[in-house]
Amino acid sequence: MTSPTKFENYFRVFRDILRSIYHSISLQEVFNIVVTKTAEALNAKGALLRILNQETRQFDIGAAYGLGDRYVTKGPVSTEKLLHHPSELHKVKIITDIWHAPRVEYPQLAWDEGIRMILDVPMAIGNEMRGMIRIYLAEPRTFSPDELDFMVTIAEQCACIIERVRLAENQQTHITHLATQMEKMSSLGRMAAGVAHEINNPLAGILLFSSNMSKKVDPGSPLEKGLKIIIRETLRCKSIIQGLLEFARDKPPKKVMEDINDVIRTAMGVVENQFYVRHVSLEPHLAQDMVKTPLDKNQIEQMFINLLLNALQAVEDHGRVSVKSTLDSEKNRIETEIADNGCGISVENVKKIFEPFYTTRANGTGLGLAVSYGIIENHRGNIRVFSKLGEGTRFVIDFPILDEKPGRKEDA
Amino acid sequence: MKPVSVLVIDDEQVICDACQLVLSEQGHAVTLTNTGADGLAAIRQGTYDVVLLDMKLPDMDGMEILKAVQEEKRRLCIIVMTGYSSISNAVQAIKKGASEYLAKPFTDDELLETIGNACVDTEQQPTT
Repeated sequence: MTSPTKFENYFRVFRDILRSIYHSISLQEVFNIVVTKTAEALNAKGALLRILNQETRQFDIGAAYGLGDRYVTKGPVSTEKLLHHPSELHKVKIITDIWHAPRVEYPQLAWDEGIRMILDVPMAIGNEMRGMIRIYLAEPRTFSPDELDFMVTIAEQCACIIERVRLAENQQTHITHLATQMEKMSSLGRMAAGVAHEINNPLAGILLFSSNMSKKVDPGSPLEKGLKIIIRETLRCKSIIQGLLEFARDKPPKKVMEDINDVIRTAMGVVENQFYVRHVSLEPHLAQDMVKTPLDKNQIEQMFINLLLNALQAVEDHGRVSVKSTLDSEKNRIETEIADNGCGISVENVKKIFEPFYTTRANGTGLGLAVSYGIIENHRGNIRVFSKLGEGTRFVIDFPILDEKPGRKEDA
Repeated sequence: MKPVSVLVIDDEQVICDACQLVLSEQGHAVTLTNTGADGLAAIRQGTYDVVLLDMKLPDMDGMEILKAVQEEKRRLCIIVMTGYSSISNAVQAIKKGASEYLAKPFTDDELLETIGNACVDTEQQPTT
């Protein structure tokens, strides 16, 4: 460093910025501190922090210090002009001739602001640019390698904090979404259980009277036929309600160490005939290296049967359904996938498919996917849907691979 | 089976009426009550072979009646009826002393068969 005072100065700036980061005040406050402190330490006229929006590939203004509103609010900047070459991602770009530098979009305005020198410090993590700090000086001067290194280090810290906040936000969105979904499911479940109880009473009356009456009418009479229909349909109501109560009940799964491939094979065996009758091919692509993880065999089997029957329903005769299982050792998860080349689900309907009673089948209860969702939740898994109208649907379900904990009796 | 005396405790009149029809046709004597309090009073005053008990009554829980019967008339045969058809509910009721379990809705045959089974079980119990 050039002098002890300067060194102390830089140290304080660095300390203030790091403190603002670790005390986890808002990202905006961190940016404000970065531009203010950096500009002050370098005795600069002002500083502007731009963040590269990963989606739009445009630079958004993160924070500004010491610049006139006119300059800051001046239209958008061309991204490609500001992007640093990968080899220069961790270097400061020094602009002394602001009139002829391609990076300076509005030279006249810069000149009017009293800007005579510009430093572009990329904010980068590895090979990726996340933004840039532009420092404006009122008069040209030289910078020591230590000073340039100081600027790069601050910019890199900013890139790290942006990354961290972004990850945390993504995680939070995901968690909030899951929590809402679960809350919705459990309130629907509670309501369903109440409704089920209320309906079972009148159904009991109908069933007792109709079954009693059917014995008193002449065999073969239209009355007998009608009564048989009433009995049959009442029993159907009973099974719908039982399914509903099954869904509403928060039954803890009885997990034992299972190979998910075995469960998939059993589920395929159950539906095989229905696929055969419709000439729909059912293609398994099961991982050779599958490991065991604690699963409730019956529940997972039920989930696969539900998804396979949905796929069968979605495809035309001679359609194709595939079942895949893969092992992701790195993430310690098992991923399974059921894909069909059927009619697909529209964007609006994708949101509804896990809700109880949502069905596209004339005789469906609309509980298959709702129940499956609950089962996956019970296994701490995730389910994702990818669908395109007319092209097909893909359900991806992943589960964590867990070790059986000794002494823990989940199935007790 | 020989005619028995049945007490029905259910706040749903339609179920009381249906049980009365089905059972009386088979020669059984049927008494109907609509509340837990009336049902319990009937149990204490009368002599019944079987009680058909709804688990969800307006004034008390079916479990309370089961408990009272266990304390006062252990040998009385109780069949519980409930709209919450689940194995755990049934197990709980049986543990509390119920002889049989009927999940609503049920048919006339199921009702008669359950009463038949319950009475056979009671007859086979050793007298102490």
